[in-house]
Amino acid sequence: MTDRELIATAVIAVPACASVVLSVAPARVVAGLARIAAVPTGMLALVLAALAFHVPGDPVSGDWIVVDVAGSLLVAVIGAVGLASVVMSPAYLGAGAGGSLVSPVHRQRVYYTALYAFWAVLLAVPLVGNLGAAWLLIEATTAASALLVGFSGAPRALEAGWKYLVLTSLGLGVALLGIVMLAAGIPGGGVSDLSWRALPTFAGAERTGLVAYLLLIAGLAAKIGWAPVHNWLPDAHSEAPPPVSALLSAALLPAVLLVAWRAEHGLAPVVGEETARGVLIGFGIASLAVAVPFLWRPLPWKRLLAYSSLEHMGVIAIGIGFGTPLALAGVAVHIAGHAVAKAVAFYAATPLLGHEPRAGEHAVTGIARTAPRLGASMGLSLAALSGLPPSPLFVSEVLIVAGGLQVGRPWEASATALLLALGFLGLAHNLIETTAGDSSPRDSRLLPGLRGVTALTAVACVLLVGLSVVAVVLPGSDFVTALVRGLS
Amino acid sequence: MSGGIVWTLVALGIAVLVVRRRSLAVAIVTAQALVLAGFALEQAESGSDVLAAAALAVRAAVLAGLFFLLVSRTRLTRPVRARVPPLARAGIAVGFALVLTWLVPAVGLTSRAAERGVLALLAFGITTAALRRATLFQIIGIVLVENALALAALQVPGGASVAIEIGVALDMIFVALVAVVFYERIFAEFGAGDSAALRMLRD
Repeated sequence: MTDRELIATAVIAVPACASVVLSVAPARVVAGLARIAAVPTGMLALVLAALAFHVPGDPVSGDWIVVDVAGSLLVAVIGAVGLASVVMSPAYLGAGAGGSLVSPVHRQRVYYTALYAFWAVLLAVPLVGNLGAAWLLIEATTAASALLVGFSGAPRALEAGWKYLVLTSLGLGVALLGIVMLAAGIPGGGVSDLSWRALPTFAGAERTGLVAYLLLIAGLAAKIGWAPVHNWLPDAHSEAPPPVSALLSAALLPAVLLVAWRAEHGLAPVVGEETARGVLIGFGIASLAVAVPFLWRPLPWKRLLAYSSLEHMGVIAIGIGFGTPLALAGVAVHIAGHAVAKAVAFYAATPLLGHEPRAGEHAVTGIARTAPRLGASMGLSLAALSGLPPSPLFVSEVLIVAGGLQVGRPWEASATALLLALGFLGLAHNLIETTAGDSSPRDSRLLPGLRGVTALTAVACVLLVGLSVVAVVLPGSDFVTALVRGLS
Repeated sequence: MSGGIVWTLVALGIAVLVVRRRSLAVAIVTAQALVLAGFALEQAESGSDVLAAAALAVRAAVLAGLFFLLVSRTRLTRPVRARVPPLARAGIAVGFALVLTWLVPAVGLTSRAAERGVLALLAFGITTAALRRATLFQIIGIVLVENALALAALQVPGGASVAIEIGVALDMIFVALVAVVFYERIFAEFGAGDSAALRMLRD
């Protein structure tokens, strides 16, 4: 076992063990234990990513574990967002002491146990070397995260959690049929032989391969939240506890998207590169087109962020579909930049709901007038998400559109640019209204977790500026060459 | 796989679509899973095949236990009325199954009858989840889909891996456990397991 494989195993094992320990630990030590276990988990994830980035051209590519640059980027994102979510959880648990899906005695224990189980499974998704096992892990994220989505036990949260459970389970059922079809066509294969490297060896009929690919991507789309199978996404993201919403949006969606990316890469020789990429571009443009009108509407804060997630998952899909070095450099920056900005935006929801309880169901305006620091955090995150320069998301979107032009897809690139411009205008309008619009009197003492949000906003500022610089120098690097080559 | 077993599974699937009582639907979907487990055991050629069959049987037993417990703890004063009458549901499901059979080429399973059975059960599961208002039936729809996929996995040349079979069974049990928690809470909150009550979140 190489160093990277050992660390990859530890990255998954530490939070998994923590979940088990938290489920049986005395109630008074649960919160402390959760915070303690978060540090090594986050650090191991970042160390693994650093090791993988150090030798981008030399991925570990086994039948069960892979450590490559794309997967490691996701591991770093999931590790960092998970760590921040654990740190921000006490503010949520303290502020929302009212209802819960479970009895108040077990509330904290169940929350942290499920959060760690979700985090562990999420960390495993980018590291798994087998399509069948990746499916199992994605399905496992559903069980852990559905419990967290409905955690408040409020009627709206129950509805969101139920929809999420039913729709994503059905979607993943469709994806599994695609996987079984692929397994039937891989020589000597059973489902366990579906390593990423084995996918191009599919030897069944071409039409069977195409249908299997379509079923697989359509099923995964239901979990990624791509339009038109995105119905659960705005509900789940808006009703989940804010630290969980951050993990759902910044970590879960791109982690499942990575599985779709790996499947596209592996099956392109079977179904044809144009077709394989065209499917992703189609889902991407559909997601952008569905999201943009909602970005213009005055929506509750977390619901607005959910539609922004739909938009950004669409952009990433389009970038992967274009598949050029420029576009893939944009994809890498977009995944990281979106995670940083979106996580801070969701964390800000905890103090926001304390400051303005109507924010859960209504659009709010003028937050910077009544709570300047909270307004600054919300404004910064929304500005970054809208792609306002110098946000790294502006650079990544330019790279992706340029990649489309480079690969000879001018119509798709133009449609993307137009939809992104419309989305930017909608979010910019919401940014102005949310921070500087008219405000009613509010109690500025009720801001649970504001200190943590302010600190994370400062860290996010540094990271976003750094990513903007990285975005400029990334094209042409070994990192991008490795992204283009994938696991082949 | 003999056509008789496949059509038995399909007939049980369509029965789930039309029955009114929750307990009957749970019994039918459990019987379907046990038929699959029995077939897997009969075909087993190695220790790992026997383990895979056992995973199917355990999944069926655990889900049945969970769902029957749930039904007994959430007595309905009257059944949740379906949006679409039973015969129409069956018609829609059969139509959907025929469309799928027409659209999807040879899947590559060892028997064409099994391929058709898989697609039919998949269609029945999705239709059940989409057309039944009772929330328990929506989860039973997911179990139907999983049964379809278990049938497919048993008919893959080279066989399904025991690790994957056990993994799928465990995943399904976890999903069902979470669904049970939600169901009880929805029942307590709204007084019925009716998905029509879950219509608050709209833009």
